[in-house]
Amino acid sequence: MSTTLERLQKLFIARYNYKLENLSATTTLEELGLDSLDMIDFLFDIEKEFNIIIPDQEFKVKTIQDMVDALDQLISEQNPEQDTGSSSHH
Amino acid sequence: MKRRVAVTGLGIISPCGNNIDDFSFNLMTGKSGVRRISSAYSSLLSVKIAAQVDFNPLDYFTKKQVPILDRVNQFALAAASQAWKDSELSLDAKEKERAGVYIGCSMGGANTIEDLYDQLFKHNANRVKPLTVLMIMNNASASYISIEYGLSGPCLTLSTACASSASAIGEAFRQIRDGYVDVMLAGGAEAFLTYGGFRSWESLRVLAVEDPEDPSKSCKPFSKNRTGLVMGEGAAMVVLEEMGRAVGRGAPIYAELMGYGSTSDAGHIVRPSLEGQTRVMAAAFKETGLLPKDIDYINAHGTATHWNDLLETQAIKKVFGDYACKVPISSTKSMHGHTMGAAGAIEFIVSLLAIKNQAVPPTINLDQPDPECDLDYIPNTGRKGVTVNTVMSNAFAFGGTNTVLIAGKMKG
Repeated sequence: MSTTLERLQKLFIARYNYKLENLSATTTLEELGLDSLDMIDFLFDIEKEFNIIIPDQEFKVKTIQDMVDALDQLISEQNPEQDTGSSSHH
Repeated sequence: MKRRVAVTGLGIISPCGNNIDDFSFNLMTGKSGVRRISSAYSSLLSVKIAAQVDFNPLDYFTKKQVPILDRVNQFALAAASQAWKDSELSLDAKEKERAGVYIGCSMGGANTIEDLYDQLFKHNANRVKPLTVLMIMNNASASYISIEYGLSGPCLTLSTACASSASAIGEAFRQIRDGYVDVMLAGGAEAFLTYGGFRSWESLRVLAVEDPEDPSKSCKPFSKNRTGLVMGEGAAMVVLEEMGRAVGRGAPIYAELMGYGSTSDAGHIVRPSLEGQTRVMAAAFKETGLLPKDIDYINAHGTATHWNDLLETQAIKKVFGDYACKVPISSTKSMHGHTMGAAGAIEFIVSLLAIKNQAVPPTINLDQPDPECDLDYIPNTGRKGVTVNTVMSNAFAFGGTNTVLIAGKMKG
């Protein structure tokens, strides 16, 4: 059973050609070369994977961990049955 | 030798009025055309506001014509008919050969495309409306106008997203200036307020959040609390005429179209570029021989997205220097919304009306100015009794095309 981080990493790899070792929690989106337009496009894949809606005005994230935290928050609000397998505390 | 070009006719179909007088009055009085969408599917959308046109096609077309013209064609033809009548033009057969039509349109017959897919995918239709192709094709508006007025010179349709009709007017200007033709009907139209249109724009995450108190206040260019653009629709047309010809026949002359700049950011597909915008303004100035301090009013592109408003402010500051904070500037998208392919032409007409009325329209909903957009954006209230001799109209598009038009009052 995968954690949010693991599922997110899988999405990154499926969509772009990143290697797992380059997708650590502290990696920044800037380091990954994703600009705001790429993010808007990628959010669509993320919404489908996690079965959530990411509101337009929020989701200001810098690192992959920021994304995991934001996603866990949205999942707990919108889809609480979903198992995020996360043992981290926010 | 380059010839001079006059603007001798105007026509408009817009969320702020379907004729020039209403449009002018509504803008000057700060009347917003933005409201809750009145369509069957609006409950399905997450963004429920737009600047829609209130239009009865039977005011302009016969019952036979209506079903074979997409909404965008109807808008274009209606605006063209106003402009034509306004110009009091009468051309003989030879003159018509030296008259053309340039139209800007981004998405073509969007309502027809949607209808087509609905028929095919939802209803498994084997046959669709026979004239579907003719209603979808992006060039239909220009061609219908050419047919209607018998204009047999160049007939083109330009597609540069939000700058489409500014590009059309600019290129039409060059056709006359460089001696190819003597008269051009130029402008643009857009009618992309369809279910698919809304969904597409929603997904791009650039649409404004609805104002919690008043939907009509949702488009807030240059505001600290701006949240994005509001989609609009409409059409605008101008009649451009070689100056000697216009003066000779005693035509009503709104202004002289003096300069046109066109550049490409060649950078990012959506993010605007400071360099691209400053370069296009400089190009338009170079053509006119004017200086920034000669401009009395700027109609900004002012979409109310974070990036456009910020960068446009910076570009104006860079080009206008000390004068930047003195020139009155407004984004009338705050009232008529972002009319996409029609925007360039609609907003060029706004600039011409500033000359005609010696008055400048406001940027409404500007209650909390963004400190980084600290120019005179004519907050909330229009100003009358302003000396307006020369105007500039900006259009900065998705894809990176930047267009600037400069027009000046006729002297004497």
